Amino acid sequence: MRRVTQAAPASGGSGLFSLRKVRYLPVAVVAVVIALFPLLTDSGYYQNMVIISLVIAVSAVGLNIITGFGGYPSLAQGAFLGVGAYAAAIGSIKVGGSPFYWIPLAGVLAGFFAFLLGLLSLRTRGFAFAIITVSFLTLVRLVSQNWDSLTNGTAGMTLPLPSWDRAYLNWPFHFALVVLLGFSLLVTWRIRRTKFGVGLIAMREDEDKAGAVGVNTPTYKLLGFVVSAIFTGMAGAIYGYYLTFVDPLGMFGLLLSVQIILAVLLGGKGTLFGPVLGAFIIEPLNEVANNQLGGGNIRLVIFGGVLVLVVLLLPQGIISTVRRRWSLWQERKRPGLTGARIELCERPKPPVRPEPSDRYILEVRNLNKRFGGLRAVNDCSFGVPEGSITALIGPNGSGKTTVFNIITGMMTADSGEVWFDGKRIDHLHPWSRAHLGLGRTFQITRLFGEMTVLENVVAPLREFSVRQLNQTAISGEEAARAEELIRMVGLIAYRDRPAASLSYGQRKLIELAQVLALEPRVILLDEPAGGINPTLIERLGELIVELNSQGKTFLIVEHNMPFVMGLCNPIRVLARGTTICQGSPEYVQQDQCVLEAYLGTDFVLEPKGAGGA
Amino acid sequence: MLEIRDLTAGYGGGAVLRGVSLKVERGEIACIVGPNGAGKSTVFRAISGLIEIMDGEILVDGVPIQGRSSADIIAAGVAQVPQSNGLFPALTVRENVLMGAYLIRRQRALVKQRYEQVAALYPVVRERAKDKAGNLSGGQRRMVEFARALMLDPKLVLLDEPSVGLDPIVLAQVREAIQTMHQAGKTIVLVEQNVRFGFNVSTTGIVMESGRVLIQAPAQELLANPEMATLFFGGVIEEKDAPDDEGPVCPA
Repeated sequence: MRRVTQAAPASGGSGLFSLRKVRYLPVAVVAVVIALFPLLTDSGYYQNMVIISLVIAVSAVGLNIITGFGGYPSLAQGAFLGVGAYAAAIGSIKVGGSPFYWIPLAGVLAGFFAFLLGLLSLRTRGFAFAIITVSFLTLVRLVSQNWDSLTNGTAGMTLPLPSWDRAYLNWPFHFALVVLLGFSLLVTWRIRRTKFGVGLIAMREDEDKAGAVGVNTPTYKLLGFVVSAIFTGMAGAIYGYYLTFVDPLGMFGLLLSVQIILAVLLGGKGTLFGPVLGAFIIEPLNEVANNQLGGGNIRLVIFGGVLVLVVLLLPQGIISTVRRRWSLWQERKRPGLTGARIELCERPKPPVRPEPSDRYILEVRNLNKRFGGLRAVNDCSFGVPEGSITALIGPNGSGKTTVFNIITGMMTADSGEVWFDGKRIDHLHPWSRAHLGLGRTFQITRLFGEMTVLENVVAPLREFSVRQLNQTAISGEEAARAEELIRMVGLIAYRDRPAASLSYGQRKLIELAQVLALEPRVILLDEPAGGINPTLIERLGELIVELNSQGKTFLIVEHNMPFVMGLCNPIRVLARGTTICQGSPEYVQQDQCVLEAYLGTDFVLEPKGAGGA
Repeated sequence: MLEIRDLTAGYGGGAVLRGVSLKVERGEIACIVGPNGAGKSTVFRAISGLIEIMDGEILVDGVPIQGRSSADIIAAGVAQVPQSNGLFPALTVRENVLMGAYLIRRQRALVKQRYEQVAALYPVVRERAKDKAGNLSGGQRRMVEFARALMLDPKLVLLDEPSVGLDPIVLAQVREAIQTMHQAGKTIVLVEQNVRFGFNVSTTGIVMESGRVLIQAPAQELLANPEMATLFFGGVIEEKDAPDDEGPVCPA
């Protein structure tokens, strides 16, 4: 193997362990103070403030799963608190029985409501999604206002008073919420380390791409919603018992949901403790505004102001910003990672490539795709022989990338068929096609920027199963294989760097490693050599040959003619959305149509490796 | 025209450039090549004032520009054409080009005059003036990007991988477009992975590795240097008109 020389990774050194200790010390102190708060003060005012902060914190930690990890900004989180509170109220009044039944049941019910909301909003993103969540919140409030026989309408419902001795005051509520918060933090911590969590983050970073690497996005989204609502519903039930009164306006008001999402944004979305920190800032602010600043709508002004400040000054939230500053400060004196030459060493000769079979493993038939008046793909048909390295070439704008998008399911054709291994796949979702063994890279790379290089390479999922959701994301064998792939493309020194910090060419290589991790049978590469150093292009060619001799089929879009002509056979030429020529490199290079449309009539093949025609 | 002395710079988390020194004379076309991640694009970002400079000097026409704001640097006569997708697809070609004159937008007559000048250099600007930039082909887009970069009449133009993603015919057009710009009196620095394209269009070649400049020499000399070719350009580059075993491929 060729070795790649690169600067040693900037290691954390021995300081890391002590750093961790220092970092978690304040967290431990704060946790103890919050947990034992009722023992520290007798003031009902402050105890109440902490209890409501806890309620908001549990809801914010839940919301963080779908908003912080999954990237879906929901304004309906308050609805699940309300559903939980109403479940407890209706249950204990109409049926009776211990809160120990009703609190878990409230969680289940909230989860069910979240499932419904998830179904409603499955196809929406961004603003449309936020608006649907607001509508959902309003809808639930309207139902609670008008279904008199169940909810007692606008008059609200009074819950039974607690049965314990008055000497215990609010302690049981407080401790129940502390336990619930601890538990929901534990679940969040676990999720971040599972396939489920990495899948959610992949969705946040680039949902289409997540689908292309095999993440079953609708299922992940629905599940994310349910998980984010369960603890919120339980907190809502405790909140209901604590208040001993629930009514539609108090429970389903928009302001409560705004408070929750603000807590997530302020503390730091996607971080473990951010939402809790945010909740313990937002709720006291709310109380102060109510009691000392004249109450009424002053809260709205303050929340609005906080939102503006967060967006302007701390777009990543407090915890993320502090962490980033800290790590920058830590790394200041260390040299950064830079790319070096690839040393030429003797490599074992690639095994003899087997002859490609006559059978098409991938075939498109009569594809058509229009964009407005433009016919991007026009009755396009071609096949990719099993075991071949097939090239798809053609002028800029001839529809190559569109054909790729149709093959992988990121776009639907207006008409035509896509066949893979004897099966028609044009009705399948992108992730199902990935699970069948179809992998692709993108012309302009689409890595998950906030994830590390290693996480990017372990993110692809070869199948979908329920068990997999709870699997640790980066585990032994898989991590070892991912590391091997990263080493193969020469970037092992960058393993723990966020993908966003890589240069253009490096991202292309990591995307290749990512698609290989999917272990596809057919690999579609969209301009793999563009922006890559010529020495590395040679290495890339060798890599493709090596993988091909292990049985992988390639379909490659590329403009680097020496690369294509030396590597690929057969070649399909596309122009104006249709196949104008097919055949061996020698044949294609002499075809008059191809020379006119693509290569140029003065085309001379330059020696391989020099980086293009 | 451009002189960089011992430049150390990075993205906060450590230095990516570690003492870069290079010199580009007026009227030259210089091409920077090197392995992926060697810091080529970072040099551009440093010149344009987009990253923090820890040490060293950047002189344009003898005037130090390090530490100044991006707007200041643009006003000092440096224009940059980014790597890809630099146009606003929903705006027309004319609007895109005029965006390049944002800093002088109040001098209407001057803007108009410059627009005429760049449209004369790159006819596609006038021909497709009312079309959305998103509907242009790859080569046309590059020319509109070049035209936009020239709206402030810069002394120095930085091109980040102008060849990436272009088909062979378009590549020839872009090469001409760069020469057009050169004939219009601009000093040009480009970053390229396509070494053959880059060095054939340039007068000076600069090879970077691990955040440093390894060698600076006339481009053709570097192309002919077998050691450089083996290390960085992917095998020894033979003479262009000697593809012995391929045979003539063009029937015409």
